[in-house]
Amino acid sequence: METDILVIGGGPAGMSAAITADRAGARVILVDESFSLGGQLRQQTQHFAPLPGSEEKVRGTALGNDLIKKLEASKVKILKKHIMIGSYRNENIGVTDGEKTFAIQSQKNIIAPGAAEKAKIFPGWTIPGVMTAGAAQILINRERVLPGKNAVMLGSNDYSLEVARQLKACGVTIKAIVEDKEQMISSDMELLHDMKNVPVYLNSTIESATGKEELNKVVVKTPAGLYEMEADLICIANGFDPIIEPFEIMGCNLAYHKELGGWLPEYNVYFQTSNPSCYIAGNAAGITTIGPVLLTGEIAAIGALEELGFMEQEEAEAQRKELWKELAEIEKRENEKTFRARSELIEGFHQKIGMAFPEEFNMVNGGAHNG
Amino acid sequence: MDKSTIVCRCEEINIDEIETAIKNGAETFDDIKRLTRCGMGPCQSKTCFYPVNEIIAEYTGMPLNEVSLPRLRMPLKMVRMSTLAQDSEGSNVVSVFGESVEDGES
Repeated sequence: METDILVIGGGPAGMSAAITADRAGARVILVDESFSLGGQLRQQTQHFAPLPGSEEKVRGTALGNDLIKKLEASKVKILKKHIMIGSYRNENIGVTDGEKTFAIQSQKNIIAPGAAEKAKIFPGWTIPGVMTAGAAQILINRERVLPGKNAVMLGSNDYSLEVARQLKACGVTIKAIVEDKEQMISSDMELLHDMKNVPVYLNSTIESATGKEELNKVVVKTPAGLYEMEADLICIANGFDPIIEPFEIMGCNLAYHKELGGWLPEYNVYFQTSNPSCYIAGNAAGITTIGPVLLTGEIAAIGALEELGFMEQEEAEAQRKELWKELAEIEKRENEKTFRARSELIEGFHQKIGMAFPEEFNMVNGGAHNG
Repeated sequence: MDKSTIVCRCEEINIDEIETAIKNGAETFDDIKRLTRCGMGPCQSKTCFYPVNEIIAEYTGMPLNEVSLPRLRMPLKMVRMSTLAQDSEGSNVVSVFGESVEDGES
């Protein structure tokens, strides 16, 4: 199989990249491991704002369906239930549909595998009833299965509280929020308000989770002593880390940036990694919110399009400038630290390879340097 | 934390086994993997990689960003042997495995 641009991952970033590349006339193949496109948006019933070019709140699932519609109306060749399992020596990507394995030869790859939820260990974390917050959200919103009746949330970030709110709406009692830091991580007033009647244990950890065949007792260790509670569900919300396997297979340099989720590939202002044939997009390029996720997909696609001659340099620069401006605006507003860490990663990589900063990046990045 | 707490759920490796490996000279995830099978199950260290590195960092006092990554290998996801071995159309007889470049460990 042969194409101009191969996109790995059919989540919001990959779909955004594929749509952008198709619009400019490139031949695009999009590979996704699931039987349905949309990535994590498939179970994200929460509302998102701001999105690129819009302040209006949109449900994650609706946003996903909208992107899927655009993709299906495009010429993008969509390979669902296909998994990237490796690469050949000539850098062709090896893909399998479970029956056969074949190579896809592409000029450029845009790799958007997303992020994984970070595990958190405690005695009993492997027994049935303990899962990540993301798993619980898949169960209630996609599989229509109630994962339990009495839940303990481990972690107090936005995502934890969002899933707690959705579980509550399904009739699940939130018995406690357990946070090992000295204050709640989330500062979202709306989410905090919705959780105001839930006991919060700060500076606390789960001492043990026990149950005969499934979870039924949770002991929380707090500064005031041990608290025992009955619960049949623990949701671990310990943040996310970028998925790096495909990048390592493609020989991309990795770096550690705590604020971006941990280890991730280095990339330049075009979202191109140290392997010039591989671009990166979405949460794999640093854990962020949906607006920047979509924008990174577009910026990566424009870089690939420009290199392949599907877009004039001038046009690419103009579009990139606008997209970077919007990315900076949204990300600085939603999570200043993330934007600063992203800028540091990019700047460090440019210095390392002796690549000049394009003017558009100096402009948006100025704030981060000066303050 | 109780030393019998499982870290690698695929291979059921607990904290004690990991700390013992470190005591015996393990410095990286891959060292621990070779001594204990930690990270060699179906998930291929996708779940336990951060917890293991946290234990190494805590035990040795090394900053987390200096604890090296496990070596990631093909196939990236679980796949049937027959799927890889099959000489299917559009694929070289040499499978993805055959062409994989193993540049060894540094």
